[in-house]
Amino acid sequence: MPAILTVDDSRAVRTIVAKQVKELGFEVLEAEDGVQGLEQLQTATVDLVLLDVTMPNMDGPTMLQKMRESGNQTPVIMLTSESKRSIVAGAMKAGISDYILKPFKPEELRSKVLSVLQGEPGAQGIGSADGGSAAAAAELAAKAEMSVPAPPSAGPSTNAARFVDVMVVDDMENVAKKLRSMLPAHVSLVGFTSAQSALASCREKVYRVVLIDTEIPDVNSGVLAQQTRVLQPHAAVLALALRTANDVTKEVKDQGFDDVVFKPFRPESIDDFLLQYFDNQDFLVVEDNVLKVAPFTGRADRVDRFYQRLQGVYGDALEKVAAACHDEVVLDMGAPPLEGDRLPKFIVAVIGKAKEYGMTLSLVGPAEARKALGGYTETKDLKFFASVQEARAGAAA
Amino acid sequence: MSVEKLCTELEGILLKRIQTDQLFLPTLPAVAMKVLEILRDPDAGMKEVALVMEKDPVLAARALRMATSAAFAGAGKKITLQEALARLGTKILKGLLVEASAQKLFISKNPQINEALRTLWEHSVAVGVLARDVLALTGAVDSDSAYLAGLLHDVGKPVVASVLLELERQLTDVYQKGWIDSGEWLDVIGKIHRPIGVALAEKWALPPPIVACVRDAAEYDKSNRHSLANAVCFANALAKKSGIFAGALDADDNDALIMIGRSAIGISDDILRTLTKGLRERVTGLYD
Repeated sequence: MPAILTVDDSRAVRTIVAKQVKELGFEVLEAEDGVQGLEQLQTATVDLVLLDVTMPNMDGPTMLQKMRESGNQTPVIMLTSESKRSIVAGAMKAGISDYILKPFKPEELRSKVLSVLQGEPGAQGIGSADGGSAAAAAELAAKAEMSVPAPPSAGPSTNAARFVDVMVVDDMENVAKKLRSMLPAHVSLVGFTSAQSALASCREKVYRVVLIDTEIPDVNSGVLAQQTRVLQPHAAVLALALRTANDVTKEVKDQGFDDVVFKPFRPESIDDFLLQYFDNQDFLVVEDNVLKVAPFTGRADRVDRFYQRLQGVYGDALEKVAAACHDEVVLDMGAPPLEGDRLPKFIVAVIGKAKEYGMTLSLVGPAEARKALGGYTETKDLKFFASVQEARAGAAA
Repeated sequence: MSVEKLCTELEGILLKRIQTDQLFLPTLPAVAMKVLEILRDPDAGMKEVALVMEKDPVLAARALRMATSAAFAGAGKKITLQEALARLGTKILKGLLVEASAQKLFISKNPQINEALRTLWEHSVAVGVLARDVLALTGAVDSDSAYLAGLLHDVGKPVVASVLLELERQLTDVYQKGWIDSGEWLDVIGKIHRPIGVALAEKWALPPPIVACVRDAAEYDKSNRHSLANAVCFANALAKKSGIFAGALDADDNDALIMIGRSAIGISDDILRTLTKGLRERVTGLYD
């Protein structure tokens, strides 16, 4: 297990650092100043030093200098409230690997600790490598291996090789294969049976969703989820769990997961999964002053969810249209479900919001929708058209 | 004349001209002409005008100065370039551009000085672009102001450069004397541009956050990590690291500024690489 030495005269800082680092699964040693820090280095093998600058007895830069003079090349991250460039420049000459300004966020500490321990270059090469990142991406793409390849029709391009939709971490190889067979071809998936190989891949690729089995032998799934989150800050991290009588969703959220996907997989739960993480982008599209809603194709029990999703996104879409200085907004509802009063309620909400922005609303949809809205006082006089072209012509007239 | 003496005399001349409103500033003819062309299109908006005009720090500063003057009831207020242009209106803006285009061209007889002039301009644009992107990535609402702050952080440099060019013309054309080389030329600019920029920014009553960036963009403010000044300080170091700068550079010092800025502002290395990717292509084109 890697060991990290935190050298800081503040007990509070040492406590916070120790807590964060232990959560990553590392051992922690503590020292109050440079003198104690050097003593610790003589008696213990340390993989990384987190070093403050201003301390009694011996300050950080002096300890760093003595370390290097004695041939100790252990990586050092300077963790300090000192931001004078002359001091940091001096520490960089002595070979610090990174720098964290206090007060710091836990994610920054975790991310930089992991980066240094895994030999990342940090800020080196920034700027002068104009285009260097493209070379690095190509190198990563060349290394990429799809453990569970998608069907040939969805073969990854060079660029796409670095960006993968789903990672599955489960010691049972069949889990990734089963999920692959249930996902559409355009959703890419990589499967790993060990935590180490999964974390190594997290250093190389960008994932959208990471699924982690809660019962991997000898692995604390909660810790693995946290490590994954540090390396993949933009990914959704979900637990893979069996259905039990317990409140599994609450349990995994307490462990740091965003949500849970239950095993064995059922078609409807995979539908939900896709809906939540992959189909949102095309749900409501804004083009000029037209808001186009994706056609409703689900089962009757999905109608509530359809309108809930619309309620969640239409405000931002209207704001975009208003920001482009349009006086009129066209809402193309496609083929909306007409059960109950959900459609008129939604349209009334849109009318109200559009009015707040000083815009009037025209609606595009099938004759059935027009009929349904005609039965309500608030929507019966709405300008209604069969197509977007007609709506635009109507606005221009 | 020694560089030190030239600096002292030049600083005195410039400060006097600023105080008495007798400073003439050249602008980039290509920028002015392009903006005039856009203004001829009745469908064009001020957003398009601002996009072109923000390539020239001097022109942008002039528009900002006019829009924030008492005549437009905007003294001291924080404002973006687009807002400034909208406040001025097409007619006044055209007048400003015609006046700007009529200034003497920004050209030296020394090709190395011409190259340095180009780089001074490109550096300002690069800092503007980076400062805006940095603040936008942190979720700050003030990213447009960051562009302007970055663009103008070295506004003293073109001011000093313009007077040096004026002196060059007088000495070489009228008196047939020799002129300083490009190294000394950059040395003079490096030594006095800061007080000149601050005097100009204060005289023109530019918004206080921008004046702060002109005054000192060399250390970070720990109490306000996402401030305009911090974004400009970080962007300045990144532009230099990318090789877009003129004059001397302390590479260790600059690397330290990047190291501190990553943590102070909260920029990951992946984002950092994205920020500087293709930077040179983004800042070239309008100087010629």
